Amino acid sequence: METNDLIRRLTAAATPVDRLPPPSKRAGYWMAAALPAVALVVMLVSPRDDLAMKLMESRFAIEQAAAFLTAIAAAFAAFYLIVPGRSVWVAALPIPPLALWLASLGDGCLRAWLQPGADGLRFYPDWICLPAIALVGFVPAVVMVLMLRRGAPLAPHLTMALGALAAAALGNFGLRLFHQQDASLMVLIWQFGSVALISALASWNGARLLNWGLARRAGLPRP
Amino acid sequence: MRTMSARREIDDTPAADTGGGSAARVQATGHSKSDAERLSSLMRQAQDGDAASYRELLTTLLPLLRRVVRRRCGAMPAQDAEDIVQEILVSLHNARATYDPARPFLPWLMAIARNRVADAARRSVRRSAHEVAVERFDETFWGAETYTPADVYGDPEALHQAIRKLPKGQRTAIEMLKLREMSLKEAAAATSMSVGALKVAVHRAMKNLRAALG
Repeated sequence: METNDLIRRLTAAATPVDRLPPPSKRAGYWMAAALPAVALVVMLVSPRDDLAMKLMESRFAIEQAAAFLTAIAAAFAAFYLIVPGRSVWVAALPIPPLALWLASLGDGCLRAWLQPGADGLRFYPDWICLPAIALVGFVPAVVMVLMLRRGAPLAPHLTMALGALAAAALGNFGLRLFHQQDASLMVLIWQFGSVALISALASWNGARLLNWGLARRAGLPRP
Repeated sequence: MRTMSARREIDDTPAADTGGGSAARVQATGHSKSDAERLSSLMRQAQDGDAASYRELLTTLLPLLRRVVRRRCGAMPAQDAEDIVQEILVSLHNARATYDPARPFLPWLMAIARNRVADAARRSVRRSAHEVAVERFDETFWGAETYTPADVYGDPEALHQAIRKLPKGQRTAIEMLKLREMSLKEAAAATSMSVGALKVAVHRAMKNLRAALG
């Protein structure tokens, strides 16, 4: 196709578009859609009996706050990256809350290791974590992908990794409200590990989920 | 049509966040501030569905994009470079909702252009990784072991005799499917035999011919 013909066709397809709101606002919209879904799953599964007591524990509160902040930061960064001309360094934004989360879990592991006897470091399979995080984070993840697909897929792997990190961190936040597993090593491996695995898988499939889709989205033949 | 007074290539636009200092950037891209504002205004009108503004914008951007692509993909054939320019235009079209009129236009455009040029370079590398450059194909046909034109059918006259001696159905099947190289469907239409009957006939004919020719 001649380029001038393409311009003619693009011009003919120039319907009015809704401008994307700023990334911070979009992260807010995502949270508004994701949080009720997480709350619904937690209510359906029924929250843990000792939740009120756990919320008073500083370690539990720090880890939950870190997971929640990681979700917010990752969502903001993902929405930021799909706007052309913005800095890619914003992708580092979830690192501080993620580091805080990891540090709290690491500290818990160290204390358990130093503790003698049966209360020390224990490890056993807890296969429920991965599907449970995926279940709690399912609606946030779907909403995230749909929202990301409205942007420009400039860095699809990184964007999807951040989007999945946001959904999985929120999923883990919800999981800990009903799943009675507080041993730091178990949380680190089975829950944090599941979040990392989900993010890695999403990143791997980034280009499949986010791509220019030139012909499909423009309703035009591929140049 | 409005023409741009570009004095330098615009792909020097920094990749970093472009929220502030638009005046300095306009200087760096070689465009006057009014040019940059004009592009931004055209894009804003295009987002609102103004086809004339959109056409003016794309036509204005075309020579700039060609220069950017040519500069980044110097050795690329002209047609391939034009394909990338078209990809950038379509990508701009698809991503036009992401443009914020409060921000400068050129950094937004150049981020898309850089991305599409990089995609094209990756595609090119992938393609070339699966290709082997061959300057000349080795001729083997004149080698004593490979030059066997006379061995293909053995004795052609004996083959003709053997075909002639086949039952009518088998002879027709061989003529249609092997000598004239018709498809089963075409041969079935031409002979009013079914596809199944043709398959059986040609199978038996081949068996008979092998037996006849030793």
